[in-house]
Amino acid sequence: MSIRYGLLALLSRGPRHGYQLRQEFEASTGATWPLNIGQVYTTLSRLERDGLIRQGEADEQGRVVYEITEAGRAEVERWFGTPVTPADRPRDELVIKLAMAVATCPDALKVIQAQRTASMRAMQELTRAKRDTASPAQRLVLDSMIFQVEAEQRWLDHCEAVLREEQS
Amino acid sequence: MTVVRLANVSRSYGEVHALRNVDLEVAAGRLVAVMGPSGSGKSTLLNLAGGLDLPTSGTVTLEGVDLAAVKDLAALRRRSVGYVFQDLNLIPSLTAVENVMLPRELDGVRARQARAEALAVLEEVGLAEAAGRFPDELSGGQRQRVAIARALVGERRLVLADEPTGALDTRTGDEILQLLRGRADAGAAVLLVTHESRYAAWADRVVFLRDGEIADSALLEEVR
Ligand SMILES: Nc1ncnc2c1ncn2[C@@H]1O[C@H](COP(=O)(O)OP(=O)(O)O)[C@@H](O)[C@H]1O
Ligand SMILES: [Mg+2]
Repeated sequence: MSIRYGLLALLSRGPRHGYQLRQEFEASTGATWPLNIGQVYTTLSRLERDGLIRQGEADEQGRVVYEITEAGRAEVERWFGTPVTPADRPRDELVIKLAMAVATCPDALKVIQAQRTASMRAMQELTRAKRDTASPAQRLVLDSMIFQVEAEQRWLDHCEAVLREEQS
Repeated sequence: MTVVRLANVSRSYGEVHALRNVDLEVAAGRLVAVMGPSGSGKSTLLNLAGGLDLPTSGTVTLEGVDLAAVKDLAALRRRSVGYVFQDLNLIPSLTAVENVMLPRELDGVRARQARAEALAVLEEVGLAEAAGRFPDELSGGQRQRVAIARALVGERRLVLADEPTGALDTRTGDEILQLLRGRADAGAAVLLVTHESRYAAWADRVVFLRDGEIADSALLEEVR
């Protein structure tokens, strides 16, 4: 899922061909998610089928260049505007989204804040559940989840600090 | 019922805008946490809410009273506000119970009653056996709890706590939050400043400050 949105986010910066997309995706996510070129083209053809991108002119070497459509832009905005919930496979989706936001989105600080608020809500729920349980074992299980969200919050703080530093 | 309300509050120190157009209220029974990086205005907000400082513009209302119109702010503060300072401010030459009694004696309560109240609150924070010890005979966590007992004594309607978990380990920190949460559940309005999300998560509402402004807030939905 996040590869699809990641490629779309990269295309929001301007037309690109497949190899270029693969290279930029890997650069933005620190090569943590190596893509093979087959995955890139499969994803691109689905995006095209869904009307989110279209094929443009071939470049001078005859490679097909893709460009984003209006519907595609709206989709990217929606993606950045929707915080990742733990049910969506947290790590990959969240990390890819933030890496893409920092690389492509002028409102990256907003994306970070929306994520921070969403994960704080999750932590508030976990803490309430912890208060409400009398079982020490259950509390420790909830603590483990709280520590995970806490790590995510610290990472978001770090992302924000780095981004502000870069913007200033 | 709203205990404290900040309406369009700003506070500047010369060129520094420590707080800008902040709207915030804390109702009885609620715990609200303020989070933000260092210098974002957290302590300024807390000081304004407790009448330790006055806004450059906007109004702060405590139990329906506009603080700008109050002649004897110190008296109102003593009556209604309990404050846990960042650096505790325990008096080293007084025992735990004497530290906790002090604000009540300043309220004009007789020593006997002040002592009884102080002992009751020390018991509530789990320090009954340490009542006769001096601050330097207590652990960090125990000192923190004495400071909290001092803020809680006398049924304050508003409890303000600035980083009350200091450098405590997470289990002791959770105990502190348990206490503050308990006070809110018993009907006080509690405003907590912290930079640690695990403690903020005890709150009904978490407010995120950035450069003196409220950037966002996370609200815990009520269970019905
Ligand atoms: N008494 C003061 N005089 C001048 N500047 C101050 C004073 N108190 C706070 N500030 C400034 O106001 C801003 C907010 O400070 P503060 O509320 O202490 O932040 P925080 O508690 O979030 O670290 C900072 O830039 C700080 O330097
Ligand atoms: Mg401070």
